[in-house]
Amino acid sequence: MAARQFRRYQLLAFFLIVSSHFAGCSSSASSRYFGKTVAPKDNVLRYVSGSEPETLDPQLPDGQPEARIFMALYDGLVEYGPKDQQPIPAIAKSWEINPNLDEFIFHLRDNAKWSDGKPITANDFVYSMRRGFAPETISRTAVSLGGVIKYAEAFNAEKVFVKKGDKFLLESNLGEGGDSKTAPPFGPETEFHKSINSNRVTLDGDEKKRAKQLEADPKLKAAVGEAEFVPVKAEDIGVEAIDDYTLRIILRQSTPYFIGMLAHQYFRFVPRQAIEKYGKEWSRPEHIVTCGAFRLKEHRPYDRLVVEKDPNYWDAANVHLDHIEFYPLEENATIMNLYKAGSIDAFLNHTVLTSWIENVRAYKDEYMNFPEAATAYYSMNITKPPFDNPKVRRAFLLGLDREALSNFRKVTQPLYGKVPTGIFPAYDKAAAKVSEEMRGEKGIAPEAWSNRYKFNAEEGRKQLGEAGFSVQKNGDTFSCPGFPTDRASITYNTNENNKAIAEFVQAQWKQNLGVTVPLKTMEFKTYLPYFKSLQYEGFAQFLWSGDYMDPYTFLGLQYGEENEGGSGFHEPKYDKMLDDANRELDPEKRLEIMARAEEYLMEQLPMIPLTVNATNWMKKPYVKGMYPNPGTLIPWKFVYIERDPTKWDKDVANIMTTADPQFEKQLADLTITQKTAAK
Amino acid sequence: MLSFIIRRLLIIIPMALLVVTLTWGLIRIAPGNFYSGEKKLPAAVEANIRKKYGLDLPWWQQYGMMMSNIVRGDFGDSVKYQGQSVNEIIKRHLPYSATIGLLGYLLALAIGLTAGTIAALKQNSAFDYGSMSLAMLGLSVPNFVLGPILVLIFGFWLYWFPPARWGGIESLVLPVCTLAAIYAAYIARLTRAGMLEVMRSDFIRTARAKGLSEKTVLFRHAIRGGLIPVISFTGPALAALLAGTVVVEKVFAIPGLGNIFIQSVLNRDEPLTLGIVAFLSILIMVFNLIVDISYGFLDPRIRYE
Amino acid sequence: MAENVEIVKGTSLWRDAWKRLLRNKLAVFGMVVLAIMVVAVIIGPAIISWTTGYTYDLIPTDRSLVKSLPPSLKHLMGTDDAGRDLFARVLQGGRISLSVGLISTIVSLIVGVSYGAVAGYLGGRIDNVMMRIVDILYAIPYILIVIVLLNAFSGGNTAVLVSWLPQIIASAVIILTGISLSIFLYRKLFERSDAIRGGLIGWLITATFILLTFFVIVVLVYFASLTISQTSLGKWLSEAYTQNVNQGLSQIFLLFFALGLVSWLTMARVVRGQVLSLKNLDFIMAAKATGVSTVGIIFRHLIPNTLGPVVVYATLTVPSVMLTEAFLSYLGLGVQAPFASWGSLAADGVKNIAIFPWQLLFPGLTMALTLFSLNFLGDGLRDALDPQTRKF
Repeated sequence: MAARQFRRYQLLAFFLIVSSHFAGCSSSASSRYFGKTVAPKDNVLRYVSGSEPETLDPQLPDGQPEARIFMALYDGLVEYGPKDQQPIPAIAKSWEINPNLDEFIFHLRDNAKWSDGKPITANDFVYSMRRGFAPETISRTAVSLGGVIKYAEAFNAEKVFVKKGDKFLLESNLGEGGDSKTAPPFGPETEFHKSINSNRVTLDGDEKKRAKQLEADPKLKAAVGEAEFVPVKAEDIGVEAIDDYTLRIILRQSTPYFIGMLAHQYFRFVPRQAIEKYGKEWSRPEHIVTCGAFRLKEHRPYDRLVVEKDPNYWDAANVHLDHIEFYPLEENATIMNLYKAGSIDAFLNHTVLTSWIENVRAYKDEYMNFPEAATAYYSMNITKPPFDNPKVRRAFLLGLDREALSNFRKVTQPLYGKVPTGIFPAYDKAAAKVSEEMRGEKGIAPEAWSNRYKFNAEEGRKQLGEAGFSVQKNGDTFSCPGFPTDRASITYNTNENNKAIAEFVQAQWKQNLGVTVPLKTMEFKTYLPYFKSLQYEGFAQFLWSGDYMDPYTFLGLQYGEENEGGSGFHEPKYDKMLDDANRELDPEKRLEIMARAEEYLMEQLPMIPLTVNATNWMKKPYVKGMYPNPGTLIPWKFVYIERDPTKWDKDVANIMTTADPQFEKQLADLTITQKTAAK
Repeated sequence: MLSFIIRRLLIIIPMALLVVTLTWGLIRIAPGNFYSGEKKLPAAVEANIRKKYGLDLPWWQQYGMMMSNIVRGDFGDSVKYQGQSVNEIIKRHLPYSATIGLLGYLLALAIGLTAGTIAALKQNSAFDYGSMSLAMLGLSVPNFVLGPILVLIFGFWLYWFPPARWGGIESLVLPVCTLAAIYAAYIARLTRAGMLEVMRSDFIRTARAKGLSEKTVLFRHAIRGGLIPVISFTGPALAALLAGTVVVEKVFAIPGLGNIFIQSVLNRDEPLTLGIVAFLSILIMVFNLIVDISYGFLDPRIRYE
Repeated sequence: MAENVEIVKGTSLWRDAWKRLLRNKLAVFGMVVLAIMVVAVIIGPAIISWTTGYTYDLIPTDRSLVKSLPPSLKHLMGTDDAGRDLFARVLQGGRISLSVGLISTIVSLIVGVSYGAVAGYLGGRIDNVMMRIVDILYAIPYILIVIVLLNAFSGGNTAVLVSWLPQIIASAVIILTGISLSIFLYRKLFERSDAIRGGLIGWLITATFILLTFFVIVVLVYFASLTISQTSLGKWLSEAYTQNVNQGLSQIFLLFFALGLVSWLTMARVVRGQVLSLKNLDFIMAAKATGVSTVGIIFRHLIPNTLGPVVVYATLTVPSVMLTEAFLSYLGLGVQAPFASWGSLAADGVKNIAIFPWQLLFPGLTMALTLFSLNFLGDGLRDALDPQTRKF
């Protein structure tokens, strides 16, 4: 009896509480900030960094969750700019580039130190690169990022030089690429520089493969003849310490965007003293030595990773936070809850649930929604019918209203090409110019030309009909009974956003083309081989975020035979256009060639561009100096906690242009070294 | 009895090895591998990875090496979390899930047994209907729904408990309650059914006929028999709970073993998966053994030769 | 005369149970709700599509409607994030959830009860081995089994699997019953006679017996599958399946399979525990003494007496299977979009609990109502079928 009364009382209390809070809920929605907003007492930032880091060795993993933490723990020659992600000086205080854009000289600071107090010198960078490219290191990022460094790829793939007597076989000896341009002298001449100035021939290290390679190329075979094969060694790669604080990097081809790549985690300094002492255990908390603004304080996997300000850091005076707590969380709803409860101050990109965005958008001081160098495509498997037919591919492109898709996804913009628009202003200009030229060549009306890749259901149905799958109209709906829907599917790895996109696209094609393409979802590890080995039929989801701030990071996806695009697309013509572009020294002309390559790619259409993504995360108004740059990689030393509520972000129209004197001074002081050097 | 226990304990080792073998086979059949990522790996790098982890050897050699290591109790290093050993990972994360699991189950046991017994004794009473309806509610609301509802009410409307993450007693309340709800419901229903069964049986009638008080009948005779279904359920349930519950750990961001296990399977982190499977299988078998032993205590009619 | 009595008794047994069931108001309520649910789920989607034009995958072309709308006369349960009618989705989801729950539970009932009863009754070494097998299966992570199954049988392979399904089931039944039968036979015929114990002749006889059993089972399996393939049941199934495979249902069939595969284990343990406590009771002894065969004892006396916990446990299996399905869907191993199940709808809805409560409310309520009814019906069945109460 007593028990029953107790329950009744509890139930009543419960309903009272619930109803009162329902009422309370609506009134709190009008408050200025989202959820509980109280600045922490200490100089500490609590940040959700995504999944648990695989390792704290910056040269091994390729993931973003690790990158966010490495931004605190390690420093590179250069650092990502806080707003635009363009390189700013870090351990290198300034740099020079030769006119060919294939040699770089860096002047290092003499006050940079490891967290154990040892000075950081150019030799440390040389060591970092030799270690990173070593085959036994097994870095996932080494070749894709640093492959342009001379002989780095050859060293990593254990290739060999061809030695005849005391001379190496050079590419100029083969006759091809014989335009042995005598590079103008750049920096002090050294033995190493002299020896690396010529392009040596590299062959496969494996005897059988090498024999095959030689068999395929009789000219090469003749040139090699009876020669000695010398393995490419770590000392051969194009990284040289001219003195303790001067460093030279030599590339195998001109790469205008190389400085931008150098801020990547792979190019950050790793400690020789710790690695040689502890081997693979060096990155464990008890042994780790770092060089960033922060050093590791505590690591409780799957719970928290705490870093503290490093007094040895060369710019320690300008590091504002005492601690950063990184929380490895992945559940979006949980992250949002923690943010709302005020238990975290900011969180990683792409985390606000789509359905929440309308509600969260009102808090514009906290919601970070800006252009991002990330795109979504559907790759099409062009090796399997019916998608080997360009008309079919074009039909599905035209049958998809990407504006409606973006409207549905809320934070995205429709994408009509390979390279996202609005991220690279110079490229956008070049592309507009090229596009206008091409229109002139073809003599197409301006409107038709500008709409050529946009939604046009009627044209889509026409194309499908021309490809042999005629679309019938039944009342308001269409059907395409001839289309083999068992030979097509939209394949994606399981993820809420991917699912929403796939469902929407499926509905669009059903309405516009009368084709119901089945959906197929897979867990990630199953999806990867299915996608990469072209087992899928029809469409497969493909997301790409730029690794560096140059359009090539997007266009390069379809470059070469074994490309990342996942469509089975390989066109020598396209490869040549990109090669030409990268050989071009005039930046404007280079972008124009690239724009032409993009036009060519869109004509071939190995993929359907879907959306340009946008940053989608939140930070509390008291967190300052933290900006939604296009890759959401935050240089932590700029971030500070503003305890004075009057100085919090308030009615900020555009956080990128809002003045913050402290931040701007810090950035200006930092970049001045390079600016004066450039003069 | 003793020899029975020893025999069962001895057989656990080969059985665990059998489980490991089967799991290993399944991992090998499953598509994908631990090193594949979003970005394409150069062929040379892939070859180096395969060489480093011995994936270029024939399968029986790999199996033999793995088994000989496992027999020695060494599960090796996780291939995803480089430089961390499997033993270390299990040791580190077990306490989290064990705390939540144990507390949750004790709470569930307390609620379930009481409610189930009273409901059985007062069959068809208001309490019976009320508590059984509540139990059904507990069963019909999935963890991943109940958890967020509790967070909404107690985290955001009342501000009593933090919405997620590990730290302090107050952070345990919501996950433990979420976990306990469904198990309490299970136990209440099993107890009620078992008790009803026993209360109608002949020996209870005899006991009553002997003139024993209802109390004695209930506590000395009925409960022991009525608990049998609950005990059968408890063995595997408790083992699974100790090893972690994925959903609750995910919703409340608790660094427990359950989530790590699922992640290891999804990551194809073979050493970690095998390590947790071996640990889990031994745990389950030991608990089942305890269950079988307790049958003997609860029901004198069950004997082990 | 005797014949007459048996007929009367036979009918009254079930009629009695039925009567008792009808007297239980909650059970009747459960039955009615379940019946309505099944009918609604079967014909509902067609009716909605015919009257309003909404289907589970229809995203409105009008961009302003592509958002979550609260319930209204147009959309009885509101719409989801993509503006799809939730009512249509809940009904469609019911098809999948109900069939996953029922099929997997039936599998777990058939396999689990017979396995547990045999193990519990026979006891000794056989019990030991059988339960160890359960332990081993229990310890293998079911996610791995599901991943492997889904990949081995994805695409065209599933159709083959489906066409084999009748044969596989029939063979499993034959093999299971065959082995247990032969063990009983062996015990009855040989084990008790001292003459055959030990010695070369004993071994020979045992070996012959095993070989013979094996042969008989193989022949039986062969003929069974031959008969089944002649009825072309498998062909019909696989055709029915391939007609649906384009709609992305392929994983669901594998899910039935995989969930059935894992859910019988606990059932077997529960039944075995119950049988262990029953087998030394007087009425079993009496049955043994009067010469009732082992099979007879197990199926006529033991299993009916375990029905109480079994029915309750079966009603517990349905929700747990549905929840497992929801969890697998969450990992991408369950139902394929744009199809949904109640579990996956609830999982989607719970994220928006604070802003679009109807997204959780309606799928959750429907699911809870169904499980409620199922449990009430289960309780009613238990009371109605209880052999103990039948005596009075």
